[in-house]
Amino acid sequence: MTSEMQPNAGSAQIYDRGYRPYDGDRTGVSGAVKSVFRASIERALGLRRKFRFKIVPVLTIVIAYIPALIFMGLGVLFGSEVAGDVGAAEYADYFGLISIAVVLFTAFVGPELLCPDRQSGLFGMYLASPLNKWNYLAAKVGALTLLLSLVSLFPVLFLLIGYSFTGQGPDGFGEVAKTVGQIIAAGLVVSIFYTLIGMAISTLTKRQGFASAGIVMVLIASGVFAGILTEATNAPDWVRAFDLISLPTDIAGRIFDEQIVQFENVSTSMSVATLFGVMALCAAIIVGGYQRMEVTK
Amino acid sequence: MCDRHQIGESEHVNIAVDPGLTPQAPLPSPAVISAAAVSKSWGTTPVFTDLTANIPKGITGLLGSNGSGKTTLFGMLLGLHDRNGGSLSVMGEDPATAGPELRQLIGYSPEHHDLPVDVAAQDFVRHLAEVHGLPKHEATTRSSDALWLVGLGEERARPIGTMSTGQRQRVKLAQAIAHGPSLIILDEPTDGLDPVQRDDMLELIRKIGTDYGIDVLLSSHLLEEVERIADNVVIIADGKTVAAGRIDDLQIGQGGAVVVLDDQHEAVARSIHEAGIAVRIDGGRLFVGNDEPIEAIGAVVRDAVATHEASLRRFGARQQSLEDLFLHEVHGE
Repeated sequence: MTSEMQPNAGSAQIYDRGYRPYDGDRTGVSGAVKSVFRASIERALGLRRKFRFKIVPVLTIVIAYIPALIFMGLGVLFGSEVAGDVGAAEYADYFGLISIAVVLFTAFVGPELLCPDRQSGLFGMYLASPLNKWNYLAAKVGALTLLLSLVSLFPVLFLLIGYSFTGQGPDGFGEVAKTVGQIIAAGLVVSIFYTLIGMAISTLTKRQGFASAGIVMVLIASGVFAGILTEATNAPDWVRAFDLISLPTDIAGRIFDEQIVQFENVSTSMSVATLFGVMALCAAIIVGGYQRMEVTK
Repeated sequence: MCDRHQIGESEHVNIAVDPGLTPQAPLPSPAVISAAAVSKSWGTTPVFTDLTANIPKGITGLLGSNGSGKTTLFGMLLGLHDRNGGSLSVMGEDPATAGPELRQLIGYSPEHHDLPVDVAAQDFVRHLAEVHGLPKHEATTRSSDALWLVGLGEERARPIGTMSTGQRQRVKLAQAIAHGPSLIILDEPTDGLDPVQRDDMLELIRKIGTDYGIDVLLSSHLLEEVERIADNVVIIADGKTVAAGRIDDLQIGQGGAVVVLDDQHEAVARSIHEAGIAVRIDGGRLFVGNDEPIEAIGAVVRDAVATHEASLRRFGARQQSLEDLFLHEVHGE
C-alpha cells in the first residue's frame, strides 16, 4: 500500500458485522421503561407510521394552538394599547376553549397506547422483558400525560410566551413566574385527569374503537346527566361537579382564582374532592384490570 | 401420525425406558434450567405436581399434550407466574426473585402470530431489543443483523401486517435473538408453517443453537421436529416430568423388532401373537416382541410370513423413536 492511500484507511469502518453475541452493558428496567415511553409517544403521534396515522394527532394539536395564534395575531395587529393587557382569566378560559380538543385527543391517544399492546400480544412480550405490569403502566401514564400536555399545558404556555412578546403578558419576573406556575399546575391537572380517564376505559376493552367511543360517551354523558339532574330536578348543586368535561376546566380556573359559570354554586372543596375521587376510581380500574390480567401466551 | 391398530390388551408393546434416564438422571453438561419438585396450580386446578428436570446447554425440546402446561412452564421460567412449591433456577437464578435481571438475558418467542400490524419489522425488533436493555445504537444495528440472519434482511422495512405467517415467525425469532440472549424460549416456533418453511425454520434454530452458542428451549407438538434438531428432550404429562435426557440416550434400550410388510399384516400379526409374542400393528409396520432375543423373534416372524405368503419388506431390531417414548410415557401405549 502506498503512503498516498493511508489517509483513507484510517477512516474505514465495517458496517456489515453480521449477527454476533452481545456482552456489553444493558440498560435494565429504566432503559426498558424509557423505550416504552418513547415508543408510545412515537406511536400516538404517528411517527414511523404511514401518513394516515399522523392526521388525527396533528389536526388535534393544531386545533389546540389555533386560538393562541389568533389571540397573539390580534395583539400583533392592534397592539397592546388596543387589545389591552391580558389577565389571568385569559389563561383560565383557554383551558375551556380547548377542552374539546383535549377530549378528542384523549379518545384517540388513550386507546392507541394501551389497546393494541394487548390485542397484538405485545403486552405479553413486554412482560417477557425486564418490564413488569407496573413499570409498563408507569411508562404509559408518563407518555399519555406528556401527550395530553401537548394539547392542554403547552398551548397555554405558548399563549403566555406570545403575549409576552406582544407586550400583553404579565409584568415583572414575579408575575411571570407566578403565571407560569399556575399554567403548569392547571395543565398538569387537566393532563393527568384525562390520562387516567383514557387509560381506565382503555383497560376495560382490547378494542381500540370501543375504547375511543367509550371515552367520548362517558365524558359527554357525564355533562348531560349532570346538567339534567341540576336543571330539571332538585338535585343539589354539587352534582354539577360530575360533569367530567367541565370539572378539570373548573379546577384549572380555580388555580387562576377564576370560576366557570356552570360551577358557580359548586365549592372548591367539592370540585377538588370530585376530581380526586374520579381520578382514584380510574386508578383503581387500571390497577385492578391489569392485576387480574393473566398473560398466558 | 399413523393410525394405530392393536391386537388385544395383552399385546401392547411395552417401551422400556432405562431407569437411569428418567427425570432424575444426571446430565452431561451444567444445567441451564433446573426444576426440582415444582408444583403449580391455577386456582384449584393443578398444572404441575412434581416437575423435576435438569435441562443442559444446547437445544432442548419440551414435549407434552395440549394443556400439559408447557406455556405455563415458560411463564414460570420467565418469572411471570409464581410456583406453589419446589425450586426452580434458570441460569443459576431463581426467576421468581431475579425476574428482570434474568429476563433481559432471555429471548422469548410466543406462540401467537398476532404482532403489531402497522409497525415495520425492524422497528419492532429494535424496540424489543431496547426493552431488553440494549442501548439505542446497539439495538438498531443488532435488529438489522438479526433480521438478516433470519432471512428478512430485504424485508425489514415492511410492516409486519403485510407479512406471511412464515415471515412473522421469523420476525418473532429475530426479536428473540436481537438483544443477544443466553437462552431463547420458543413456543411452537413452526406453528402455521408449510413443510418447506418448517424445514427452513428448524435449520435456522439449529444454526442459532450451534453457531452462536445460544441455549434453546422449544416446545412443539411435532415430535419429529424435536427429534431432528434437539439435543435433549423433556416430556411432561399429568403435572410431572415423565422423561428427560439426551435424545440419543432415550432412544436406546428398546427391545423387540420392527417388521415392514406389503400385505397380510393382520394375518401375520395373528400368527405371531399365537406363537406367544406381543405384537402391535402401526400402519404398515408390526412392532414385535419385547425382551425376546432378536433371533427368536426372527424365527417366529419368518414362519408367519411364510405361512401367509406375505411380502416382507424389512425386518430389524427396533429403535425406539421419540414418538414411541412420548406415547408410552404420556398415553401409556
